[in-house]
Amino acid sequence: MPQDASSTTLNPIEVRLSGGMLALNRFLMTLQNKRMPVFSFTLGKDERGMRATMLLDCPPESARRYTALLSALEDVQQIGAASETLEVALLKIRGNAWKGSAARVGVEIHEDGDTVVASGEAETLEAWFAEIKEDLEDLVRLGPVARPGDGRG
Amino acid sequence: MQSTAFNIEYQPRTGSEAMCEALLDEGVEYLFGYPGGAIMPFYDALPDYPLRHVLVRHEQAAAHAADGYARATGRVGVLVATSGPGATNIVTGLATAQMDSVPLVAITGQVGRPAMGKDSFQETNVMGMTLPFTKHSFLVEDPDELYPTMRRAFDIARSGRPGPVLVDVPKDVQVAACNDNGYRRLKEAPQPVSGPALEAAAVLLRKAKRPLILAGHGIILSRAEMELRLLAERTGTPVVTTLLGISAFPEDHPLYIGWPGMHGAASVNRAIDKSDLLFTVGMRFDDRITGAVHKFAPNAKIVHIDVDPSELGKVVKPTVGIAADAKLALRGVLSRFEDAEDRSAEWREEIAKSQEPEKKSRDEARDKYGPIRIMAAIKAAAGEEVRLVTDVGQHQMWAAQFFEFTKHNSHITSGGLGTMGFALPAAMGVAFAYPDEPVWVVAGDGGIQMNLQELATIRDFGLNIKVAILNNGYLGMVRQWQQFFHNRRYSETPISGPDYEQFATAYGLSGKTVRPGDDVEAAVEWAQEQPGCVVLDFHIDPEANVYPMIPSGMSVNEMIEESGAAYGGA
Repeated sequence: MPQDASSTTLNPIEVRLSGGMLALNRFLMTLQNKRMPVFSFTLGKDERGMRATMLLDCPPESARRYTALLSALEDVQQIGAASETLEVALLKIRGNAWKGSAARVGVEIHEDGDTVVASGEAETLEAWFAEIKEDLEDLVRLGPVARPGDGRG
Repeated sequence: MQSTAFNIEYQPRTGSEAMCEALLDEGVEYLFGYPGGAIMPFYDALPDYPLRHVLVRHEQAAAHAADGYARATGRVGVLVATSGPGATNIVTGLATAQMDSVPLVAITGQVGRPAMGKDSFQETNVMGMTLPFTKHSFLVEDPDELYPTMRRAFDIARSGRPGPVLVDVPKDVQVAACNDNGYRRLKEAPQPVSGPALEAAAVLLRKAKRPLILAGHGIILSRAEMELRLLAERTGTPVVTTLLGISAFPEDHPLYIGWPGMHGAASVNRAIDKSDLLFTVGMRFDDRITGAVHKFAPNAKIVHIDVDPSELGKVVKPTVGIAADAKLALRGVLSRFEDAEDRSAEWREEIAKSQEPEKKSRDEARDKYGPIRIMAAIKAAAGEEVRLVTDVGQHQMWAAQFFEFTKHNSHITSGGLGTMGFALPAAMGVAFAYPDEPVWVVAGDGGIQMNLQELATIRDFGLNIKVAILNNGYLGMVRQWQQFFHNRRYSETPISGPDYEQFATAYGLSGKTVRPGDDVEAAVEWAQEQPGCVVLDFHIDPEANVYPMIPSGMSVNEMIEESGAAYGGA
């Protein structure tokens, strides 16, 4: 008996796009047009062009189907499951105690003026936020991005 | 100096000339279009090239005509429109083609680059507007990119799962000097089909006791009719088609049992309900076929073959999914059935028995004035070579149900989008492709009025298109839904129209009104014998319904059936 697709999980997908704003417009329109369950979408740019990382909230087989659909777009240079994802967050933190704890738990940080940019695996970051919550003045989570790689996960 | 694919040396002087060269190099014969301000440089260059332009009377008709040409020939259809309203008018045609996987290249003029983004006269963002229903789209801002972009548009349109591609060209790019006209064709290397998946599909087919092959439009697009027929015959498996798959398998073949879905034969829907294997090829489990997905084919394993991998599992989860071209995949399965295996005889007998009441009811209705008799008369008069182009609505279902399609790719209709107004202009494309073969349009009195202005185009080119209007004075399918689901409140569905006989005459064509009691066969034969286009206006029962009907979102068990008498009569 045929089955409906159900039972969801977060599937990280990394995409490389060519073609600038028109390509991005088409890509976003396709996400919307096909009602893809986008949990988060992060866009960046590096020396190889535009790169997006998104989390699809659906069963893995649906994510594979969506990936196949997106791969057919002419502007999509590469697309695939991102095997490892990092979460990036911007923070304002009192004092300096957090520096030691970040190094200890494996959260990578750099400072940009008053802002601390922290990145690491989602669970690690979550644990670290809990550890420094007394000193935390502000927190903006940018969502997951894929580790630098070839886009194939 | 550059060379074309035919080694003709040339130096395009302008973007427009490069566009024409690209069209020639793609082997384009016909363009369907309508000029306007932003596409004038292209039209200025056009007469210097051996390309035949068909001036339609509305841009939507250009898109449908190109669509009809593409469906009938398997080649890429080409349409041309200007910016602004010209471009917005082709939108329905592009969406129609996208839904039914038809390869088109749409060329639109755009305001000049300096005027873009300034709400200039006749400026629209046609790329943005058509993003959801084009396979790809280009805005060409570099004149040197014009020729390769045009060529690439054709490659994209016809490769893999075909679809429409838009090329938007600013006016100043059309007149700009164009230096580079090289293009390296994208070669579509056929992807090898997974051996284990083919083996699994063959094993399931061999083991099944109540198998059905469900064939869709992909069979026609892939030209896999022979492979489909061989597989059915070697395995003794009954064949069902989707609406767009009609004429992928000859309907007079003993293994053909009909088409399923909302208005499909009850026997076919029940066969799917009982089937233990649905072997599906080149189809996408449209909701008009499945109804309630969780109740669809409850006893069946599913083999799903489709060229578009994103279709596998979209609606139903297949037991075996094969992402491959239909022809290649069927050949792979066929190689596992070298000898004929006469199986499923009991299953075929069971289906045949379930079809007997339907055949009896149809035979009885054939003698009465109404859609069944009209369809039979057209087939008898026009012969085996006829191609039938239908619009959207009740008549579309009647034609699919009662016209016997025996010629390959002879049924052309708008399936996915269900575009009223499609048939008349699409038939123009078919008639240009096959000028010596009979082309009939079957339309309702609602849809025909949406592009009726194209009678002028048909007259100008002397196209031999016969038009049968099934005139019930209603938007019939909507009225039927109102009857069944809205307590007969016929809200805004009664519709009037012209006297079609006089209307045809006003366009310099022939017409005839046919009323209950008139000789249907004589009228159709008269039309067939007339030179050029003829319009037959069949007045039919205003409340004739299409049966059976599975209400939207329901299953075969909730099917509405009616006696044969409901098909027609005065």
